[in-house]
Amino acid sequence: MSAAPAAASAASAGRRQYDLGFARWVYQHVEGGDKVAMCMQCGMCSGSCPIGTAMDHGPRKLFMMIRAGMKEAVLTSNTIWNCTQCYNCVVRCPRKVPVTAILQSLATVAVKEGYAPTQSTPKFSKAFWLSVARFGRTDERLVTALYYFSHGLKEGIRRALENLPIALRMIKAGRMHLGLPHRAKGAADLRAILAKAEDIERAERAGGKPS
Amino acid sequence: MSDPKAGAKTYTYYPGCSSQASAIHLDKSLRAVAPKLGIALEEIEDWNCCGASVGHVEGGALPQTALSGRNLAKARQQGSHDVLTACAACYLNTHGVNEKIKQDVRTRARVNQALGAADLKYDGDLNVRHACEVLVNDVGLERIKGQVVNPLKGLKVAGYVGCQTVRPFAATQSGGEYDTYDQPEFLDNFAEACGAEAVAYDPKTSCCGGSVSVHSPDKTLHLIKQIVEAAVEAGADVIATPCPLCQQNVEMYQDAINKKFGTSFNLPVVFYSQLMAVAFGMDAKADAALDANMIAPVKLVELAKKAAG
Ligand code: SF4
Ligand code: SF4
Repeated sequence: MSAAPAAASAASAGRRQYDLGFARWVYQHVEGGDKVAMCMQCGMCSGSCPIGTAMDHGPRKLFMMIRAGMKEAVLTSNTIWNCTQCYNCVVRCPRKVPVTAILQSLATVAVKEGYAPTQSTPKFSKAFWLSVARFGRTDERLVTALYYFSHGLKEGIRRALENLPIALRMIKAGRMHLGLPHRAKGAADLRAILAKAEDIERAERAGGKPS
Repeated sequence: MSDPKAGAKTYTYYPGCSSQASAIHLDKSLRAVAPKLGIALEEIEDWNCCGASVGHVEGGALPQTALSGRNLAKARQQGSHDVLTACAACYLNTHGVNEKIKQDVRTRARVNQALGAADLKYDGDLNVRHACEVLVNDVGLERIKGQVVNPLKGLKVAGYVGCQTVRPFAATQSGGEYDTYDQPEFLDNFAEACGAEAVAYDPKTSCCGGSVSVHSPDKTLHLIKQIVEAAVEAGADVIATPCPLCQQNVEMYQDAINKKFGTSFNLPVVFYSQLMAVAFGMDAKADAALDANMIAPVKLVELAKKAAG
């Protein structure tokens, strides 16, 4: 994935809101992005969406905005963050647009380009990925703690206290792992694989062909 | 007694991270009932996380894909048995990546390039299957019924399937065409095979909010409320589900829902495999793991006791 067209990058916001290069860029670089051109704006996706009321635009409108080149509005939209990945839209779309994959890929782009500093999902993902990349497995305690405290110390303590009753019940039910995090024995191997995968993507973003 | 492994089919088992913590009761009960159903589970040695529904945001698309790539490469080293997983998110990722590796040459090449960093490779010659699909297509309801020695008489079950167990793969060829996306029947069939009564329940495949519920429940409590409310209205004693995240969200947020909406929900949420373990006359704790439910499934515990007593 090469970098999104610079003409409409975060830095030059306000100068230009419509960048038709953005649509072409999405078609070529976002997973399933070429299918955005297939969308017939029927609204089946947004109408099937369980969390549609919490979305500023919903997938149908977002796809129209991509085609109109509204990069800023697309990458700052909460539609890409509120998707629960229920796949209602995907199985119902008459044009077989892979809606969920497109939203996921846009989320990755938004983070890489610095559009989502205050969203919950990237914070949560950061905590999650730290556990996965370090141990090869998700430690739910660690992820939760890191996520809570990514909001700052005070907010972290508030959230931890608010969720303490649930945590205690999970411990009582034997469903919170206590002790050191579980880890995959081959966690070092996994880290090498992930590092290589990152290299490949970085090289592709830079426009070069990975070796 | 005859060899319990006789006539058993071997699957390479991918338990996933939730099997070691929040969904320990799914893993435990599934491992308990599997041999009775002719399923031999051989765990992937040294498996890693699948990346769940959020890994791509921080990790990136290819690293997220490579997580499943490594699991598949490890599974292949152990043989060519079908890979079985019971977790909806694990299935979504592992099956999805597997199909992509099979169909898309570029993905296969990129994943293998990454796997090469640990001297692993994977060519896409395995099948990845959901436990429920295996129960429907390989085991069959008759074999499940045949194991029932303690029918769950009088237990009213609301079958809550959730999203990713059926969407987007249940009706595809690679997904085994085992049920529909909107009105799946397999879960009700499992409950009835166990002798329980499957109540009419509309929000079968409504969304619990998934990982959005985990980090931002304010946005999704109303979704979970509808799921519990419909089960209460249908007179259910328990909600049954196949999905670890559904089980956790629908169970642990009932207090928060009561607080926010003035309801008084306290409805147990169990896995289908826990129903089976009790119906097969197995131990309430060691096999059915009923002590792992935050909201005690009282009626199911009583049924288990009756069988043991
Ligand atoms: S359902 Fe498909 S075709 Fe219809 S608006 Fe949504 S993405 Fe476009
Ligand atoms: S997958 Fe996402 S966008 Fe599609 S219906 Fe579900 S929540 Fe809405």
